[in-house]
Amino acid sequence: MSAEGATQRGGVYAPGLPEGLIRQRAREGVAAVFPPVDTYGRQLHGAGDEELSGPSGITDDLDLARLVPPVFMPRRLEKLIDLGREPLHEDVDLTTVIGGFHSPLPVYVSAFGSTRVASGDAGIAASRQAGRLGIPMVIGENMVPVGGYRRAEASQSPILARLRAYAQECPPGVGGVVVQQSTEDADSEVWNLVYSDTSVRELRDSGRLGFELKTGQGAKPGLGGMTAVDAEEAARLAGQFAVREILGPDRWLRCATPGTFTEEILRQQVRFMRNNFPRARVWVKFHPGRDVASAATTAWQAGSDAVTVDGAQGGTGWAPRTFLDQVGLPLGECLRRIGRPQGCLLATGRIWEGGRAVRALAMGATAVGLGRAALLAVDEDPEQGLTRLVEALALEARLLVSSVGKYRADALTDEDLWWPGATPTAVSPARTAPIGSPA
Amino acid sequence: MYQAEQTVAVRKAVAYPGLLGEHLIAEKTRAAMAVQQEALYAAREFLRSQGFTELLPPLIGPVTDPGARGAKALDVDFYGHTYKIMTSAILYKQASLRGFPKLFYIAPNIRVEPPETVDTGRHLVEFHQIDVEIAGGTREDAMDTAAGLLTHVVAHVFDTVPDVLRQLGRDPLDFAELLTGKFDSCTHTEAVQRLRDQGHPQSPDAEINWAGEEILSREADRPFFITDYPKGSRGFYDRENPQDPGVLRNFDLIAHGGFGELVSGSEREADYATLVTRMRESGENPAKYDWYLRLMREGLPASAGFGMGLQRLIRFLTGLDALWQVSAYPKLPGVVSP
Repeated sequence: MSAEGATQRGGVYAPGLPEGLIRQRAREGVAAVFPPVDTYGRQLHGAGDEELSGPSGITDDLDLARLVPPVFMPRRLEKLIDLGREPLHEDVDLTTVIGGFHSPLPVYVSAFGSTRVASGDAGIAASRQAGRLGIPMVIGENMVPVGGYRRAEASQSPILARLRAYAQECPPGVGGVVVQQSTEDADSEVWNLVYSDTSVRELRDSGRLGFELKTGQGAKPGLGGMTAVDAEEAARLAGQFAVREILGPDRWLRCATPGTFTEEILRQQVRFMRNNFPRARVWVKFHPGRDVASAATTAWQAGSDAVTVDGAQGGTGWAPRTFLDQVGLPLGECLRRIGRPQGCLLATGRIWEGGRAVRALAMGATAVGLGRAALLAVDEDPEQGLTRLVEALALEARLLVSSVGKYRADALTDEDLWWPGATPTAVSPARTAPIGSPA
Repeated sequence: MYQAEQTVAVRKAVAYPGLLGEHLIAEKTRAAMAVQQEALYAAREFLRSQGFTELLPPLIGPVTDPGARGAKALDVDFYGHTYKIMTSAILYKQASLRGFPKLFYIAPNIRVEPPETVDTGRHLVEFHQIDVEIAGGTREDAMDTAAGLLTHVVAHVFDTVPDVLRQLGRDPLDFAELLTGKFDSCTHTEAVQRLRDQGHPQSPDAEINWAGEEILSREADRPFFITDYPKGSRGFYDRENPQDPGVLRNFDLIAHGGFGELVSGSEREADYATLVTRMRESGENPAKYDWYLRLMREGLPASAGFGMGLQRLIRFLTGLDALWQVSAYPKLPGVVSP
C-alpha cells in the first residue's frame, strides 16, 4: 500500500512531517514498520530508498571520496622497466587471495540466504556464473532449516544445488565456496553436513571449502535474518524460527535470532571452527558495528582467514524500514575505523561498479563482495548477466588502478583517495622557501 | 557393495572389510570378539567393585553431545520432532547423577565422521563407549578410575585369553609397563611443544591432530595422559580452569605403540550461566538444550567422568591395524555398508 495521497483523507495538514508515512502507520499499524509485503520476493531493499523510509540525509563518505592520480608515478616506472614498454591498464594484475582462495579478481559473490529473491533459479544462476568466473562465493544462512539438505534428486535442496552448480563450473585451482551457519543452522548442523558430504569432497579436499560465521549484516545490524512467509510456511517453520502474523492477514514475519557474541564467544567460535573443520577456511562476517575494529582484530587473532564487513548500505530481501537508513556505520567509516587490516578484509554493501570497489580496496579491503548487484545481474540474464557485470567492474578497476600508477590491486593505499574538505597532506617543495626569497 | 574405493579418497593403501558374511567368519574377527567379551566382563567387574551402577543408555533425544571435529549426528523423526541418535550420552550421564552418584554405561554411539577419517584406523561411525561419571569427582578421580579400569582389563584379558592374544602376535611384554599402573602425564602445551620440536605442524589451540597423536603414541612405552586442552577444542561441558582461563580441566588417555587415544574425560561444568556462555562459545543454540539446562538450573552435582572407546580398547589389546577389524558390523566413515 502506498503512502502517497493520504493527505486528502483527513482535514489535518502537517507540513514538514512525512505525513503519508504517518498516516500509513495509522492505517496499517506494525505492518508499516516493514516495506510493503507485496514487494517481498521481488524488491531488494537497502539504504537510500527515500520512498520507503523518508529522507535520511546520511551518505557513505566512501562515495564522496575521489581517486586522485598523481603526476609522478615511480610505480609506473617500475612496471615500464619490468615490461620493457609503456604499461597499459591491461597490465594491472588483479589476481589475489580472498580468504584463502585464489581468485582472478578482488571480487566475490556475497551471501544471499533463504530470502525468496535468491531462492531457486537466481541462486543457481549466480552460483554457476561465479564458478565459471573462478571467484569465491558465499552461500547464505538459514537455507537448510528452510529448504532442507538432502532430498530426492528431482527436488534437490537449495544449498546442495548451489554448491554443485558452482563446483561443476569452477576451473581447478581458483575460487571456493563459503557456507554460512546461523543459530538455527547450527541446530541443523549445516557445517557438519557439508563437511562430511561426499559430494562436496572435491571442493573440500582441494582447499576450496570455507565456513563463514555470520554475526550480523549491514541492512539490519543487530538483528537476525527476516523473511515474509504465508501461514502454511509459518506453521512449518514455527519449530525453528520465531514466526508472527504481523505483516497482514496470512502474512507472517519469520525471524531468525542474531546470536549473542562477546569477544570471548567470537574467539572461541572461530577456534572451534578451525578445530572441527581443519580443511575448511574460516570467514567471519560482521555487521557495521561501532566496535567493528576490535571485532575484526579478535577474529583475525583467533585465526580467521577473512573478515567481512557489511556496511550499512548492504542490501537484504527484507528488513524493517528504520534499519535500512538509520542503523549502522557506513562502509567507509567501518574501513576507516579498522585502519590497516591485520588480515584479509572483505568489504560489502552497495558495490556494483569499479569506482566504489577500488575506493574500498584503497581503504584496506582485499576484495569486495557483490550481493544485490549479482542478483540483479542474473535476473537480467541468467546465463551471462553476472559474468558481464563482473567483467565491466574488472575493466573499470584496471583503468582506475593504472590511473594512479599502480599495477596491482593490493598496491592501492589511502593516498590514492581525496575527500572534499580534506586538508592538503603534501607540501610542494617549491613552497618550502619563503615567498619572494631568491630562487 | 561393501567396498570403500568407490566412495572415498584413499590416501594410503589400507585394507577394508570384505563382504559382511566373510568378515563375520574371519579368524581375526572371531579372535577380536573373544577379547571383547573378556574386556567387557572385566570392565563391569572393575567398575562394580568400585561402587558404580550400570545403567542402560538412551539411544535418541532432542539433543546429543555436539561432538567435535566435524562429526555429524544422525536425525530421526520422533512423532514430528527431529531427534538425534546419541553421539554420546554425556548429558544423560550428568542428569543421572541425581539418582546414581557413580554410574556407567556400555553405550552404543553413532557419529557420522568426515570421510577423511576413513583411513585413520581409529574411526568407526558405529562404536561403543564405556561411559563413566562420578558425582563430586575431580579430574584426578576420573583419571585414576580410567587408569585402574584399563589396567584391570588388560590384566584380565591376559589371564583369560592369553592364547588368543599370542596368536594375534601380542606379547605380554608389550604391556609390562602398563601393568605397573603408573601412567605418565603431560599437558597439551607440552605435547604441542614436543611435536613442534620434531617439525610436526600442530596448532596450539586445537586438538592434537591424528598424525601428532600417533607420533606421541609411538614414542611411549606405556599409556599416558594429556591434560589441559585449550578451550575451543572440546565440548561446552568440559570445565574451564578458574585459575587458568582458556584451559580446560580435562584429559585424554593415549595408548602407547601408535594406538592413540583410548579415553577422553574431564571435570564437568556445573554452573548454569557459565554453561550457557560456553554453549555460545561452541556455536550451540542453548534453546535446544532446554531439558538439560532446566536440570542444571535446578542443580546437578558437579562431577567428572570419561568415555573409553570400546573398539579402540580392543584394537589396542589385539594389536590389529584398524577399528573395523574389531567390530562385528563395521561402518567406516564415508563407506556405505550394511
